[in-house]
Amino acid sequence: MQKILLVEDNEMNRDMLSRRLQRRGYSVVNAEDGEKGLLLARSEAPDLILMDISLPAMDGWEVTRLLKANPSTCHIPIIALTAHAWVTDRDKAFEAGCDDYDTKPVEFGRLSEKIENLLTVRKL
Amino acid sequence: MILQNLSIKRKLTLITMLTSSLALILSSVSFLIYDLVSFRHLLTQDLMTQAEIIGYNSAGALEFKDEAAATATLSALTAKEDIVTAVLYRPDGKIFAHYFRGSTTLPSYLPSRLQDKGYRYVGGYLEVFHDVTLNGERVGTLFLQSNMRQWSMRARRYASILIVFVLVSGLFAFFVSSRLQGLISNPILHLEDTMRMVSTNKNYAVRAVKSYGDEIGRLIDGFNTMLSEIQQRDTALQSTNGELKTRTQELEEEIFHRKQTQEELLNAKHAAEEANRAKSTFLANMSHELRTPLNAIIGYSEMLEEETRDSGKIENVQDLRKIQASGKHLLSLINDVLDLSKIEAGKMVLHLESFEVSQVIEEMVTTLQPAAAKNGNSIHVHLADNVNMMRADITKVRQILFNLLSNACKFTDHGTVSVNVEQIKTADRDWIQFQVRDTGIGISAKQKENLFQEFAQADASIARKYGGTGLGLAITHRFVQLMKGRIWVESEPSQGAVFTVRLPAQVVTETSESAQPESAGKAPAASSETKTGLETILVIDDDPSVRDLMTRFLTKLDFHVVAAANGEEGIRLARQVRPLLITLDVVMPDCDGWTVLNRLKSDSQLAKIPVIMVTVVDNEAMGLDLGASNYLIKPVDRDRLAVLVEKHRVTRSSTITDDNPVPLSYVADRPAGSKTAGTRVSRTRRN
Repeated sequence: MQKILLVEDNEMNRDMLSRRLQRRGYSVVNAEDGEKGLLLARSEAPDLILMDISLPAMDGWEVTRLLKANPSTCHIPIIALTAHAWVTDRDKAFEAGCDDYDTKPVEFGRLSEKIENLLTVRKL
Repeated sequence: MILQNLSIKRKLTLITMLTSSLALILSSVSFLIYDLVSFRHLLTQDLMTQAEIIGYNSAGALEFKDEAAATATLSALTAKEDIVTAVLYRPDGKIFAHYFRGSTTLPSYLPSRLQDKGYRYVGGYLEVFHDVTLNGERVGTLFLQSNMRQWSMRARRYASILIVFVLVSGLFAFFVSSRLQGLISNPILHLEDTMRMVSTNKNYAVRAVKSYGDEIGRLIDGFNTMLSEIQQRDTALQSTNGELKTRTQELEEEIFHRKQTQEELLNAKHAAEEANRAKSTFLANMSHELRTPLNAIIGYSEMLEEETRDSGKIENVQDLRKIQASGKHLLSLINDVLDLSKIEAGKMVLHLESFEVSQVIEEMVTTLQPAAAKNGNSIHVHLADNVNMMRADITKVRQILFNLLSNACKFTDHGTVSVNVEQIKTADRDWIQFQVRDTGIGISAKQKENLFQEFAQADASIARKYGGTGLGLAITHRFVQLMKGRIWVESEPSQGAVFTVRLPAQVVTETSESAQPESAGKAPAASSETKTGLETILVIDDDPSVRDLMTRFLTKLDFHVVAAANGEEGIRLARQVRPLLITLDVVMPDCDGWTVLNRLKSDSQLAKIPVIMVTVVDNEAMGLDLGASNYLIKPVDRDRLAVLVEKHRVTRSSTITDDNPVPLSYVADRPAGSKTAGTRVSRTRRN
């Protein structure tokens, strides 16, 4: 079973996304802030990380940069999730090292396609 | 010299006096001389007559040697005061008798010997010798001497009179000339005074008074005319000066006002910018705040729908779908508002890429098939043969087509929606034209007016019946404008509508259209790639048909082409756009290809740009020696050219990837209203 780490501070979104992902057959690990996300990324070694960008204290950009800078976690694909639709956010996501990007509210079909893509690439 | 500097007044007096005195003196002296000469002549005649008489009277006495009688005769001369000496000589020259006035002794000045008869003037005396004859025989000589006392007295008297006369007349002349010189000198002096007044006081209003109609009068007239003219000019000058001063003042005031206005405007602009920033921030935050709960609503309802369906409670599925649909509608509203605000804030940026037009059309038709089916419509597509690639912002093209097609489907009931795509050529560029035709309710002329305005649905009742934000066409319109295209509509009520969108086949952004001078200093690798992402190739050829062919060919290969008609222009453009590579002709007027190549290669900033020679001249060795990368002989083998330019592009791209990852083009979350291919996030690599 493939493991997804979901870093999301909003409880409802976390609950909903994790349940839907689980229904798709993924095992989901939840982190409600960046620091926990960092720890869990190391300890749980997930196959993919869904990263909310607007997090309290340490934001998603920062967490992504740290994860990508660490040799033990840099290979894990990260999909950034943000409510902002500005072009700069998109550029910022790739700059920080995200492998893909999606906006909230999540269109689940689209997101799961992206997840599937990245996991397939990784398998190859 | 002193005379010359005298005043005119003095000069005139002096001249008059001198002239008149000289004339007077001359005439008087000549008269005097004439008078004295004739008087002396008279005296001489008189003395000679006297001598004749005395000679006659004393002839007998001489004959008879009667001295006493002779002396007595001579003594009669006492009556004659002038005669100072009278002597009778005998023929042998001895003195016979004599008479001396006032003395008895023989005066020393007696002539020593007898002279010939006649008269002469000697030492202020008049002397006369007269032969005394008797019966025709000379018996002696008479000598008479006169002291001319009468004559000298007369001369003295005359001289005195003359002097007095000259003096008196001189005085008179002085008096008269001093009076009369004013006739000439006064006007001149007056003129001089006037002149001095004008030059000292700068008063051009004074005038010299004309006294007489002579030359001076005319001079004064001339002077006055001159003054009038100067005065006129002075007045004109002064009024112009005044005007100028007033104007300057006005201008200064205006400048001040403008500065003030400018400052106010600047402040207003800052305020507006500040407000706009606040608005943008507010919108960004709002969209975030709105999306988060929407996220939950849509997400949970979707999840519940899945779960409900799994558990077999089909009756709840419809309600859950309604929640979902409303949530998505709300989301599309938020997205539309956000799009518009982005356009208005100037934050909407074009992400240009090349894509297959047919693919996009196919995607859109597939996406909208459900919407069409909902109203019982069928979609027909006609794609012209000449349409293949276009370069534009694919997301926005998708959104434009989505909006037009979904509108067509929405407002048509059991009809046909047809999409017609073709390539159109106008004088300046190629266009891709999308035409969406429906058989729906149509649009009235009045409705057309506001069709592309924000929140202006054709009719309020329409909004109730068909839903929608009224932003779709406004956004479509803005997107088309952003890509420098055109959109228009032809429709009659209940006759259906035809929306036509014409977009450039090669959309360019403002920045790539005009080469930016600041990029000139950068490394060539960075500057030839315009913001559109296209690599630039510079074509230098004097033949317009070759330029045209090359431009078309290279554009098809997805290059941005800049063409130059001569060497100079070519070098200038090379500096300006820093192309990926240059194709260069050899035979050109003025500056031939060899020279251009030489200059390109000797310029440190341009030397690195590869040059492909494209020419009829068969001299590959020369080209390669001068630094050309490749040598093609006309007519050009297109396949070979394509391979060569691609090779250079590959070389360049690998350089880019090394130090700067190629940006990923990305399609944002558009539109969320339905499950569409257009909303799928895709990740593609350029080139």
